[in-house]
Amino acid sequence: MGVPAADFLLVLLWGTLAGMDLVSVPQMLISRPIVAGTVAGWLLGDLEGGARIGVLLELFALDVLPVGASRYPDYGPAAVGAAALVAGQPWDRLLAPAAALGLGMAIVGGWTLLWLRHANARSLQERTAALAAGEAGAFRALQYAGLFRDGVRSLLLTAVALLLALAARHLPFAAQPGFILAGRIAIAAGLAAAVGGALRNAGRDVRLRWLGIGAAVGMLWLLAT
Amino acid sequence: MTGRWRALWRLFAVQGAWNYERMLGIGMGYAAEPMLEDLKSADPARHAEAAVRSAEFFNSHPYLAGLALGAVVRAEYDGLPGAQILRLRTALCSPLGALGDRFFWAGLVPACVGLALVFLTAGFIGPALAGLLILYNGIRVGTAVWGLATGLRSGSKVGAAIGRSWLPRAAEAIGPVAGLTMGIAIPLVAGWYLRGAGVQIAGVLGLAALGVWLSWRFGNVATSPRFGLVTIVVGLLLAWGLH
Repeated sequence: MGVPAADFLLVLLWGTLAGMDLVSVPQMLISRPIVAGTVAGWLLGDLEGGARIGVLLELFALDVLPVGASRYPDYGPAAVGAAALVAGQPWDRLLAPAAALGLGMAIVGGWTLLWLRHANARSLQERTAALAAGEAGAFRALQYAGLFRDGVRSLLLTAVALLLALAARHLPFAAQPGFILAGRIAIAAGLAAAVGGALRNAGRDVRLRWLGIGAAVGMLWLLAT
Repeated sequence: MTGRWRALWRLFAVQGAWNYERMLGIGMGYAAEPMLEDLKSADPARHAEAAVRSAEFFNSHPYLAGLALGAVVRAEYDGLPGAQILRLRTALCSPLGALGDRFFWAGLVPACVGLALVFLTAGFIGPALAGLLILYNGIRVGTAVWGLATGLRSGSKVGAAIGRSWLPRAAEAIGPVAGLTMGIAIPLVAGWYLRGAGVQIAGVLGLAALGVWLSWRFGNVATSPRFGLVTIVVGLLLAWGLH
């Protein structure tokens, strides 16, 4: 039920990159759960399992706009931990516990972003004089310290998510068909989040009409296949 | 002016020291540093003032920060008064924030993710992810390069340059595309998970409808992660009870 140490380190590194991608660097979408979770599953030898939990968490993430100073969940490390719980096991029975782990860690991740922003501000206050003098060294020091802090934050967040996932892998989710029902409840919650987010984003303008057209096409496509 | 490419590289980490006091300010100062190098030998006093100004409070969408960075650096080389440069920075914050949020966060991200979901649910997991990353980052990197070049070319007239550019039109056009792709993707994702679920599909859709109503009615409290977490924990307890 465990994960080999080399794989653990690999997904730990991946989760750290995904965590840093959300705000600090490089903001290239690898923090999206569809990417972070699926790649983590692939690294752990279960692409399908990673995709299943990654897409489910993505439905929740689609409801969130990571706008400026607002607090938003950090789904990257969370998706990596959730994928580690599902990997190599029947995804339909592990979907609900993995989603609970992922959502819980995403919320915790959002809180750690607040800590990071305050720590960056404290660091800035300590260098007020150097900044007022326009010392380039002060900019660099603040920038590197901020990146380092976010790296540590993302590393710790991923490590906690992975350790919780490893612990949860010892629970008998896979053996119980009842957890398939729990998984479907998780899917319902994810669909609610995605639809709610899409409607809010659409507002009342032309985009709402295109959302409706898309939904009709999607349903027809589904019925036809 | 040298250091343009180093500045562009540094813009990818413009939020590296994000904080509530100066927001993107430190990242902007860090990114401006290579481009202000030439000013150091030409006019050291002006360079010192420009360096201080470059790290003042600034907030915008991170992908569009290059427009402001280029404009401000150009204004420094043009010798505009410091107060005017600070006003330029401040004036660019809201439009670049609103435009970027509308184009990238509310438009391009759901459009690309929706497209990726369509391919992924059809069984093309690897190509879906590769396509998502290439398409999105192609536009993201292209925008960063264009933004810095446009800012440097336009200087204090960057507002007019943005208004004439492709960006406002793209922000307008991407909304319907995002709506369409998300509309197609959501039923396909539901089908991908629920194939063979039989009568339980009705229950899933009913619960999803309840969730949409709750988030519509009590969105501030019943945020999607909270609603999801509570619902899933109840589901897990139910499953545990059945076991």
